[in-house]
Amino acid sequence: MMPLYAYVLVAFILVGMGAYGMMVKRNLIRILIGAEIMGNGVLIALIAFAMYGPTAGVYTFAGQGLVVLVISVFAAHTALAMVLMLMYHRRYGHVDLGKVVILEDEHFD
Amino acid sequence: MQLDEATLIGIAEPLEFLAVTIAVIILAYLALEHKDIVYAAFFFGLMAAVVSGYFLFLEAPFVAGMQIAVYTGGISALIVFGVLLLPRSQDSSLETFPSLEKSRIGKLIAAAVTALSAALALTYPGVWQTAPSYAGIESEGANYFLEELAVWLWQDHGILIQIVGLIILTTLVGTIAIMRMEKAERLIPLKSDFGIEVIDLEKEDDHESDQEVSSSSEVEDQ
Repeated sequence: MMPLYAYVLVAFILVGMGAYGMMVKRNLIRILIGAEIMGNGVLIALIAFAMYGPTAGVYTFAGQGLVVLVISVFAAHTALAMVLMLMYHRRYGHVDLGKVVILEDEHFD
Repeated sequence: MQLDEATLIGIAEPLEFLAVTIAVIILAYLALEHKDIVYAAFFFGLMAAVVSGYFLFLEAPFVAGMQIAVYTGGISALIVFGVLLLPRSQDSSLETFPSLEKSRIGKLIAAAVTALSAALALTYPGVWQTAPSYAGIESEGANYFLEELAVWLWQDHGILIQIVGLIILTTLVGTIAIMRMEKAERLIPLKSDFGIEVIDLEKEDDHESDQEVSSSSEVEDQ
């Protein structure tokens, strides 16, 4: 069996890549993909800790049940984010985070 | 020299893990950096499918199946359709911030998030454990975890499944309601003192009623 830290290592590499996508990109769709990659990292960590934890014999299924719940929440938030993007695109004609009014530079000067 | 089955598994598993890890990292990189966002969405779907390999390594076949069904079949398809409905999202000039300074700050925050998650994970007391805690019950058979999970989910914790259903139903109704908010498109955005966009419904109504009054007075004058 692989040690727990191997899964944890993969999990935080994915979290880091997702954070990079969310912080450096301007395209809202790319930011959403970054958030999903982060979510995948979190899922790996959740399952790994559930399986390797000291109480795994009792709570293994609690961990898997939690992951099932988290996957459905991720699906829900993706659908909602996509609809909000569609509404934003319909209203302003772009999906550029740099042009979102709240984040314009002039307001922070 | 003949190797026994346990030795072969011991050699093969790290290699499989390494192959899956390399595939996941390359696909995640392509999903973030590929110039064409349609291909990026496909790479994301592929990455989500490969991630389910980890769940199979961890004896969680139900979660692996759900990962493929929801992420590869649902979310990546949703993103592809979203890209097709948002033609401006395919503009490659949107990929990075134009200013180098902002890009550097973004990378710095991403590095901080990675370091924080690594610090939190590696300070977990049992993180250096080499064997999972379920090792003793593996002899029950390959389908043991699947059967036990089914019993756990559907008999003992049925409320969890109902909550999942409720979340998805609420999202579905919410997304349809948002999409039908045609009125929002006609509102006039205003900028407040703090730069936050606000919509002043009262002013808009006053403006409309003023217009009506002025037009009616013009009619009376004539």
